[in-house]
Amino acid sequence: MRIAAFLPELLRHLFKKPATVDYPFKKLEVPKDFRGTPYLRPELCIVCRACERDCPAESIEITAVNEAEKRFRMVIHNDRCIHCAQCVDSCPTTPKAMQIDSLYELAADDRHKLKKDWVYVRAVMKPKAPAAPTASSEPTA
Amino acid sequence: MSFQIPIGPQHPALKEPISLRMTVEGEVITGADIRLGYNHRGIEKLAEERNWTQIIYLVERICGICSHSHATCYVQGVEKLMELVPPRRGMYIRYLVAELERVHSHLLWLGVAGHEAGFDSFFMYTWRDREIVMDLLEMISGNRVHYAINTIGGVRRDIDEGQKAKILEGVAILKKRSEYYFHIGASEPSFVGRIAGVGMLSKEQAIALCAVGPTARASGWDRDVRKEDPYAVYDELDFEVATADSCDVLGRVVVRVKELLESYKMIEQMVKGLPDGDIVVKAPRKAKAGEVVSRYEAPRGENIHYIKANGTDKPERLKVRAPTLGNYPATLVMLNKGFIADIPLIFAAIDPCICCAERAVTLVSARSGEESVVTMGDLRRQALARSKNAPVKGNAVWPF
Amino acid sequence: MAVLRTLLYLVVYPGIIFLFAYSTFCEWFDRKIYARLQNRMGPTHTGRFGLLQPIADFFKLLAKEDVVPEAADKRLFSVLPAIGLAVVSTAGLLLPVWNFDLAVPGWTSFPGDIIVMLYLLSLPTLVLFLAAWSSTNIFSTIGGARVLTMLFGYEVPLFLAVLSPAILAGSWRLAEIAAFYQHRPLLLLVNLLGFFVALIAVQAKLERTPFDIPDAETEIVGGTFTEYSGKKLALFRLTFDIELVVASGLLAAVFLGGFPGGAVLGFIQFVPKTLFVVFLLSLIRALTARIRVDQVISFAWKVLTPLAVLQLLATILLKGFLT
Repeated sequence: MRIAAFLPELLRHLFKKPATVDYPFKKLEVPKDFRGTPYLRPELCIVCRACERDCPAESIEITAVNEAEKRFRMVIHNDRCIHCAQCVDSCPTTPKAMQIDSLYELAADDRHKLKKDWVYVRAVMKPKAPAAPTASSEPTA
Repeated sequence: MSFQIPIGPQHPALKEPISLRMTVEGEVITGADIRLGYNHRGIEKLAEERNWTQIIYLVERICGICSHSHATCYVQGVEKLMELVPPRRGMYIRYLVAELERVHSHLLWLGVAGHEAGFDSFFMYTWRDREIVMDLLEMISGNRVHYAINTIGGVRRDIDEGQKAKILEGVAILKKRSEYYFHIGASEPSFVGRIAGVGMLSKEQAIALCAVGPTARASGWDRDVRKEDPYAVYDELDFEVATADSCDVLGRVVVRVKELLESYKMIEQMVKGLPDGDIVVKAPRKAKAGEVVSRYEAPRGENIHYIKANGTDKPERLKVRAPTLGNYPATLVMLNKGFIADIPLIFAAIDPCICCAERAVTLVSARSGEESVVTMGDLRRQALARSKNAPVKGNAVWPF
Repeated sequence: MAVLRTLLYLVVYPGIIFLFAYSTFCEWFDRKIYARLQNRMGPTHTGRFGLLQPIADFFKLLAKEDVVPEAADKRLFSVLPAIGLAVVSTAGLLLPVWNFDLAVPGWTSFPGDIIVMLYLLSLPTLVLFLAAWSSTNIFSTIGGARVLTMLFGYEVPLFLAVLSPAILAGSWRLAEIAAFYQHRPLLLLVNLLGFFVALIAVQAKLERTPFDIPDAETEIVGGTFTEYSGKKLALFRLTFDIELVVASGLLAAVFLGGFPGGAVLGFIQFVPKTLFVVFLLSLIRALTARIRVDQVISFAWKVLTPLAVLQLLATILLKGFLT
């Protein structure tokens, strides 16, 4: 057992820069596949509802605004979202309609302000789209 | 003059609420009692209403530090039920993240042990180095905790060459630092004076009380699910089970640091020998009826998940036995005849993940003041009865 | 006129306002060094370089709610922080910074004032014990018992170590001791062993790691301070800060040659020497883990006291040799 075995290491740190990042004045870069908040690209969505079914936090809600025009409304409740990106994985279209970005500074005063919604017409499945196993491809009326 | 000190439910030494009631005389503890249930969230009930994919995320959130161990244990079980064999590359990535999680958990524990002993500089240094592992995990999976890299049938993300190089770099730095911490932990006199000879648990006691994980391995009992029952890739990797013979908190520190060094070896083997191919195999939505018991060596010990399916896309029953629960009876024995000053150290030495242990099956009898050893026997008796009467369909033989 | 001057001395310099300002500066220095040793930043954003952080902490505590437990002895509970503060401030008046002229001694420099200062530094420990006792909380009781147990350990080595240079200098007056070593600086090296013993004993008196047993956060919640909140806690923390300044001033006066050169120069020497002692105390704080109360007693009586006695022997032999 040595007395003050730690001492040289301690003293060396007096001359090093601190390891702390002075957030929020300086920010760290997030890596490439960072899971931030999900968002929809409405022109690609075929309303198969796989994301709604697979979301563990029930934070995706798809309702029909107008059945005849095939107009739907999707609300993403960002206050419920757990940022797992399962919706992105479950989305069957190529390119994916559900995407995830790198935003993580989501604090707000009111959780109702954290909801995002889109109103859109359901996209038509292109015949030569490769991996589209869902059964919601109806012919356009 | 003997009086009762309550440690918890709210106490600066505890990260989560638990109630330990100690009867003390002066500074010596003469009796201890554990009350659980402050962190009960009803996860097993919630799991009965979600489909197989959603439960991965639910089960991951049983614990923040050992999240991947719960998710992997569950996914292993479900893949058995659905009779899926994930591709080799997927398995390697899954267990690579598992070993990285073991590294992060042990570094966290070293810091916590230092903090409980008042050695704050050690705490700060180990947590600074833990940032290296957290950054690696963020790079692989997109998040620092709750990696969510498992999916039924494999993993969700792939690793490319640049990431492999960064992993090897990070592990090389960490190896040097871990050896330095080993050296400090064993030779700083005030630290060793606090942890040597504290929390004695002899080998016979450890076996009788069903201790798991590093708590048992520090008493010289070499139990490790990865060696006894090698699942997935562990029969191809070359590693040793770390044990120590001193049966005290110092032994547990030594065991965890040795496990860190073994994990670095395993990570290097896995990264260098990563096979090519797919990472996932398509999983059906419904599972055939049956039941399965899935075991996994979490950083804290043996994690057991029992899943029963009935042919739909939701499970009939999910039961989780987290490792910390197995260590509670041993803790009561260790606390006896100790000093008050040693309570946080002894309790921290089992690496308590209290939120993992909050399953409320038969612990009702603890409220009446009975020793928890009886409850363990209760659980054991029920488990034996159930396995005798259960259908032999989903038997627990590992095909991997 | 004299009354006004005395009032000025008592309130502004070297009185309570100076002690408040300088002790918060020493606390800032201690926290910054402790953080930098651990590769962190320490206080950064409150004021330039975080200098105002301890003052901000003090005013924040003053503004918080003050809760007195029902079962506690209310009068004793409420008056103890003020007593503690008064005692250490009085000890601060005895430091040989502001009585620089040996021919014209002020009323704060008299033969025997080193003994008075050591005695005044022991009183806060008793105040702490009473505070713990009057809180009627289990954790406080254990904290109070530990405070007194530690007192039996470190008092003797501290006294022996601090009194050895006094014996060599042949006087019990701080200003004369400092003057003696200013004339013969080489004799300071004889007292090196005593300096280390005194450093460790002072660390125990100030209840910092490795001896922060009565206030062990992870074991007994707050120890003696569990039930204190608001203004009373603010006064207790200020008491400890001023005790840090006084103890490091005492060590600097006795072991580092005092503060010669008159009012201004003396003050300019006071700051670096006390900061040096604070730096060493922070280093010890970052270096070690917390030890148990029984280990403190055995360490103090098996290691510290023999070393202090050795220092005393060396001093006496040297004194005999010199005369």
